[in-house]
Amino acid sequence: MKMRKILTALILFLSTLSAEINVAVTYPYLKEIVQKIGKDRVKVTVLGSAKYDPHFVLPKPSLIGRLSRADMLVINGGGLEAGWLPPLLKRASNPKIAPGSLGFVDVSRAIDMMDKEEATRAKGDVHPEGNPHFSLDPHNIVPIAKLIEERLMELDPANSESYEKNLKAFTKEWRDFLERFDEKMASCEGKKVVTYHKLYDYFLKRYKIESVGTIEPIPGISPSSKYLIELLNKMKKEGVRLILQDTYHEKRSAKFLATRSGAKVVVLPHDIGAVKEADSLEKLFENYAERLCR
Amino acid sequence: MKKSIKGVLLCTVAVYAQSDIDNLETKLKEQQIVIDKMQREIEKIKKSDNLSSSLSQKEFLPDISFIINSSALYRDVKNSDYYNYYIPGFFNAGDAEIPFNKERGFNLNYVETSLFSTVGPYFDASVYFHIKPDAFEIGEAYVTTRALPNSLRIKAGKFKSDFGRINSKHHHSWNFDTVPLVYDAMLGIEGLNEPGIQLQWIAPTDDYLMTGIEALQGNNERSFGYTEQNSLYVGYVKAGCDISDTTALFGASVAYGKNGADGKTTLYGLELTTNSYLDAYSSITWQNELLYREYEEGAETVKQSGFYSEVVYKASREYAFGLRYGALFKNRDIGPDDLDRVTVMAEYKPFEMSRLRLEFSHDRSKIIDGTRESINEVILSLNIAAGVHPAHEF
Repeated sequence: MKMRKILTALILFLSTLSAEINVAVTYPYLKEIVQKIGKDRVKVTVLGSAKYDPHFVLPKPSLIGRLSRADMLVINGGGLEAGWLPPLLKRASNPKIAPGSLGFVDVSRAIDMMDKEEATRAKGDVHPEGNPHFSLDPHNIVPIAKLIEERLMELDPANSESYEKNLKAFTKEWRDFLERFDEKMASCEGKKVVTYHKLYDYFLKRYKIESVGTIEPIPGISPSSKYLIELLNKMKKEGVRLILQDTYHEKRSAKFLATRSGAKVVVLPHDIGAVKEADSLEKLFENYAERLCR
Repeated sequence: MKKSIKGVLLCTVAVYAQSDIDNLETKLKEQQIVIDKMQREIEKIKKSDNLSSSLSQKEFLPDISFIINSSALYRDVKNSDYYNYYIPGFFNAGDAEIPFNKERGFNLNYVETSLFSTVGPYFDASVYFHIKPDAFEIGEAYVTTRALPNSLRIKAGKFKSDFGRINSKHHHSWNFDTVPLVYDAMLGIEGLNEPGIQLQWIAPTDDYLMTGIEALQGNNERSFGYTEQNSLYVGYVKAGCDISDTTALFGASVAYGKNGADGKTTLYGLELTTNSYLDAYSSITWQNELLYREYEEGAETVKQSGFYSEVVYKASREYAFGLRYGALFKNRDIGPDDLDRVTVMAEYKPFEMSRLRLEFSHDRSKIIDGTRESINEVILSLNIAAGVHPAHEF
């Protein structure tokens, strides 16, 4: 009798295990959002580590196995994954997450992207869909969460109530955070900065910080010394005091500009885990406020 | 007095105000006419746009890309002598294939045009054309299934076999411009690229485990080449794992088929590739393959073996350096077993999609004009990838 009870419990336990939705996400920030909405209903695996340039994730063979058993794939979109994901996705040939299917979620669809450009590679590694680094504006997090909630509800209608509830809770939590955060950032308004890549443009626009130029002359091209001197003169003329550097590009150019102009190099993580302190979405942005508005 | 002044003032203000309003109203009417006109224009454009877009098939254009590969080459052997090179014990004079980097001086090696499109819910189609100065070849043309259950996939058409590591890769994605010596000796520079069908399965695990079988025509003359019927079967298992910033890929392959000498050939392949990330843009790749062949010729079975090992250090987004050593260390009883080649390369990528590579090789594997000679070769190659964003594969 006891044996049977244990067995039933075990079977029940196993069935709940297998009923979990396997979600593959391309970057760490998406994992946190999916977990906030899916809670214990989802099992999330991140394909691209925050250690590296999000444009150039190493297409490890192990990622194919993870894609082949995923029920849902959440990508940043806007061309950010174009350099590494397509062959993996083709190779996994998993109909559940094929582009266009219910399990394929491109969160850029929830965002009105900036810098939609005419597609010519003469301008470097540009994305005709627009600047894909929208996740760094904290006001874009809720629309992304909403899109993920809608898809989870469609994929798993039996639990749609709990997804709805989770989204509501998360939205409230995030709006409270934004209220505090926007207040903190208000002191930063009007600052002038130089960035390595057009990585923080959404954030800078939101908080009225002016980007005077980029260290790379065009996306995907390293700067020449002649270009750096031009940028240096521009920085001096405009009175730029901050250089925003990501964690993965070379730092020599930023250091050079800093010593010559007296500006300070500030390293800003581009995703959760890019620096140790940024271990959650809130911490990621708090890190920005701390490092920028000091 | 004061009152009357006030009254006059108020009056003037009112009059002024009245004439101002009239003015504005006329202006508004004028503007309204302009707006209406513009709106009608917009409607008109929208309508015509609708007409064309409802019949447009633009969205269904396949993904198109093209690759141009060309080189400048120096070799210390005359062209006419080089064309007849052979590797003793493996193939004879006149059987050398030199599909690219053939001539001293300048070479336009090929233009590779690739097309990819999804064909309905069940199939994807891929085509690779190789356009060369004197030939138009279908490099590969195949369909793959999109929606088989249990992580199964079928590929059918003409395709590069997944035997071994480098065989399935196209020339422009190799780490060096020349093929590893052991491939030239046993499979030819183009490798196993045949009409046939393939079935692969990927295990649903966090680590990579893939296994597959293929039935191929068996055209490859170096090892197979039986012409009466399809006769080549290939099988392999590949496994990969990640240990912190290092990724390792192991594989074992076998190809079994009839050869052109009325016998059977069994070809075994072992591979090991590791890739260690140093930072976001620099890494070290170590790639190795060992091939072993049993080739039946009448009553005799010839056993031969060779390998290559290469290291590529990617220093930055722009620069990479590589060293490769390849040798054929087991040959026929009469053939030499000290055939080898050393290759070094340095490459520069001014942008993701363009690559300049300087390569030097010292080759002691070939018989030129009846005598064994060391050949020195320098290749400066330019490779351009245009069109849809080329994605990197491991």
